[in-house]
Amino acid sequence: MSEERIVEALRALAESDRDRGASPEVETHLRQAFRRRLAARPWKRAGLLWATAGATAAAAIVAGIVLFSGGRKSPVAAPSVSAQVQQAAPVVEPAPPVSRPVRRPARVRPAMPRELATDFFPLTDVALPFEHGEMVRVTVPAATMLTVGLPVPEERLADPIQADVLIGEEGLARAIRFVRLQQ
Amino acid sequence: MTVSDHELLGRALDGDEDSFTALYRRRQGAVFRFALQMTGDVVVAEDVTQEVFLTLLEHGRRFDTARGTVASFLYGIARNLVRRRIEKERVTEAEATTEEFAGDEDLLEDLTRRETIHQVRRAVLSLPAAYREAVVLCDLQDLSYQEAAEALECPVGTVRSRLNRARAILAQKLSSAARSTR
Repeated sequence: MSEERIVEALRALAESDRDRGASPEVETHLRQAFRRRLAARPWKRAGLLWATAGATAAAAIVAGIVLFSGGRKSPVAAPSVSAQVQQAAPVVEPAPPVSRPVRRPARVRPAMPRELATDFFPLTDVALPFEHGEMVRVTVPAATMLTVGLPVPEERLADPIQADVLIGEEGLARAIRFVRLQQ
Repeated sequence: MTVSDHELLGRALDGDEDSFTALYRRRQGAVFRFALQMTGDVVVAEDVTQEVFLTLLEHGRRFDTARGTVASFLYGIARNLVRRRIEKERVTEAEATTEEFAGDEDLLEDLTRRETIHQVRRAVLSLPAAYREAVVLCDLQDLSYQEAAEALECPVGTVRSRLNRARAILAQKLSSAARSTR
């Protein structure tokens, strides 16, 4: 039998199925499921607000400890490694030259950048055991957040954002979190 | 102006039920037919259709325009669900390549239209899953090779070769069917 005949026979089958579809009950069930999900959303939003507030509070506490301990830290400076991957190791800036101590001006503390970070999202389907690893800071397009289910406005999909990627001993990226610096 | 699938999906995920319903009504037929033609079972096809759209609600944010269309995304979900069903129900796939080729140009003249459709459906259902997917998507759902490749997450060349092989197997099967009805 020629291929043309086969294609013709398949077309006949496709034609016979052309108007088939799921029963109206399926649509009814799905719309009910949609409404249930929508109704459950305020709780999720509240959870997100609490999580954000918690992260902000944690960042404020960390910033406070750094300020009152007298140490001076610089923002994370990450050397470029490859393909926009940057190491997260902080680099301490050299101290500024000290002028003559005639009168000590009021000390103006530099604004500390605060990091707001999401939770870590797993990048592997299976939860592999994790003992040692490394965290690297990378710059990724905001669209990456979609892959873990975080919403991103369409017009901002291409915006670069910072993320910390947790890499296991075997070199596999295990988890990712997204970071925002606030002055 | 027609609203794109992508736009409807975005609105649905933001809580717009009308957009979700519009997207469902636009795409459910194709998803249902894909599942039906893959399994031959109307009940399973309905279950799969429902699960596909539930999955879309749950994981729709994972849709990436760079990787294909919403339709391909839906076919991809449907494919995974169908495969799970097939494995669960242990559908036999082994008999696909054992029959001899016998050129029979008069098959369509020999069978009534209805019988032909029945034979073709049976022949498609007996194909190995990978070949069946290619035939269902390209020949029955009329997707381009590119769209099928996106849904199957494989290169276009693989779709072409699977389709050629599937058609050759179908030719064997339908020729045998024609002989046995004489």
